[in-house]
Amino acid sequence: MGGLWYQIKSIARDKLCILTFLLPIVVGAAINLLSDMDFSAMNQVTFGIVQQDLGAESVAWLEELGTIAVFSDREALVQAVKEPADSIIGVVRSENSIETMISGDELNIDTEIAGFLPQMYQQRNVAKADITIVPQSSSTNGMKALLIAITVVTAAFMGCTYNAMNIIGEKEDGIAYVNQILPMSAGGYILRKIAIGFIGGMVSTIITALICVRMELEQVFLLLLLIVLSALAAAGVGLLIGDAAKELMVGIVWIKAVMILFLALPILSYLIVPRNSVLFWISYLIPSSAAFYGLMDLQSGSGIGIAEPAALLAHCIFCILGIWVSKRNVGLGLHME
Amino acid sequence: MGRGFGALLRKDFKLMLSGKFFLLAAGSLLVYSFYINMVYVRLNQEIYPVIVYDPLELQSKGQQPPAIMVESQEELQAKCADAYAVGIDLSAGMTVKDAKIYMVSSGIEQLDALCSAYAQLYYQQNIFQTDTGTVSYDSTNIVGDFTKEAKNRREITCEVLFFELTAVGFLGLAAVLFREKQMGVLRVHGIVPVSCAAFLFSKLLLFFISDLLFAVVLTMVNIGVIEGMIVLPTVLLQAGLLSLIMALLGFLLAVCLPNFRQFSLLYLVLAVFITTPVFLVGQTGISWGWIIYHPMYQLFITMKKAYFGERGAGLGYYCVCVAVIAGLFLLGIWALRREVAKSGGTNNS
Repeated sequence: MGGLWYQIKSIARDKLCILTFLLPIVVGAAINLLSDMDFSAMNQVTFGIVQQDLGAESVAWLEELGTIAVFSDREALVQAVKEPADSIIGVVRSENSIETMISGDELNIDTEIAGFLPQMYQQRNVAKADITIVPQSSSTNGMKALLIAITVVTAAFMGCTYNAMNIIGEKEDGIAYVNQILPMSAGGYILRKIAIGFIGGMVSTIITALICVRMELEQVFLLLLLIVLSALAAAGVGLLIGDAAKELMVGIVWIKAVMILFLALPILSYLIVPRNSVLFWISYLIPSSAAFYGLMDLQSGSGIGIAEPAALLAHCIFCILGIWVSKRNVGLGLHME
Repeated sequence: MGRGFGALLRKDFKLMLSGKFFLLAAGSLLVYSFYINMVYVRLNQEIYPVIVYDPLELQSKGQQPPAIMVESQEELQAKCADAYAVGIDLSAGMTVKDAKIYMVSSGIEQLDALCSAYAQLYYQQNIFQTDTGTVSYDSTNIVGDFTKEAKNRREITCEVLFFELTAVGFLGLAAVLFREKQMGVLRVHGIVPVSCAAFLFSKLLLFFISDLLFAVVLTMVNIGVIEGMIVLPTVLLQAGLLSLIMALLGFLLAVCLPNFRQFSLLYLVLAVFITTPVFLVGQTGISWGWIIYHPMYQLFITMKKAYFGERGAGLGYYCVCVAVIAGLFLLGIWALRREVAKSGGTNNS
């Protein structure tokens, strides 16, 4: 335990390090404070109309179906419809109905809606069927959940960056050589090195999660399980990277690759890849994917399956085994010399 | 001076080579292009699927788009549980009023209204074959210049380039400097007759050129050679500005921060928390009023405009960019001089 204590003492002197570990917590709190208004607009359809063009009744009808953006003239509306970032459907008056305007680069759903809208308009007063809308089991906002999951996963994988940089730093300073001749088992070494990134990442993640995620008590244990496993996997991956990188610049390259892989891939595959497809299962090869999916599921209130913890556990075991083998080889190499 | 500068350039180039920067750039290029061409251009979202439960077989054949038929009410409800599909239950009888629309709320009232209006229209048209007047699409005007694929390509290429420039520029130059710090180059620099400005400038130049090359290849590969050629001049201007700003920022931080561990954590923070909101706003059209005060957002939007061939920012924007670059450059030199003096060399420049 003495070794671990020295490690903690050394990190305690590094104020900036502690600050960085705290940052996800601050961001998590900020996301929590952001009003839901900002996010709900995301999935909605936006209709762009020209001032004084449509009648009050038509505007009221449109307002029931989506957000309305009012433009001063037709030119401004065309510009807004063309704008690639959003998919505004322009709605203008025609002889006895309405006409829609799209830029032609929209998703199929928006193109279809634009196509159907005039017909919907004409049908608006026709006898309606009996509509049952079942309220959703949880009211968690999708976009907010996504931001929270990103923040929590980032917090967990801070431990990875820290560990990797720590090892590389030791290599550069020559401490790595000293370590090799110290009377210390490979297991003890791994334990100590993993511990710092693990503890830092875990504490930061748990606090962030506690601030952001609202859930029932029984799910808190699942959340904690996810966090502990992902922080451990992250710390392990960090050690592996530190071990694999021969020098600082290579380590940086690794960090960059890892950041893209760990943060961008789970988000993308969560949003794009259909569940139960082969590609989705392949994405579990990235340690953060399992953590990310688990967090999203927990927030939506559906609970997690066995796949997420199992995948994380497999990653932990794989990383620790990997480092252990590598350390053993170094030890043997020295004895041979 | 000229010979000294040439030597500096050679040294920095070798450092970049040994750091495998070019390998990384080529690798990223490959991964990004693969992703754009294989995944991103195919992204789409289809209209709400319609699930029909029709034990009396009322529905007419040949619906457009085809509905998913189910065998029981339970199955209907299970299929609608994703809060995206809409169900039509025809088990009660023949008339329009007997039909039941079943759906799970998406959490947004207006979206639910739209979805149910779609379901209404669907059964009016397909199941009861009411004449609904206008035929679909006739009253839709297409005003844009791009197809969905062309837009997707431009959009994602812009995002990738922006991310690469922010990330690599920031990280790359700093990494080289940290390496040099460890090698003791700063200490030696104090007694070499080369100015601090040249020391910084040679690095900046190399990263600038490599960033521009990256931008050219990425654009050509992913949006096509001819279209690429048309937008490249404005894109390169934006890429150049962004590259200079980020590289100088990275340099400044690398000079000031004592070790790389701190730098890399700071980098993670920058990359994730500063660029994510920019991407979210730029990509999804979420509106955050304060985002216009985010400097990265301005840079991002101007680059995006360049990719879509729109008129870029005004003179004020470029003035600010140039001022920022000049300021960062001077600040970088000042910090470097201080660092050289601290590490024991005398400041000769």
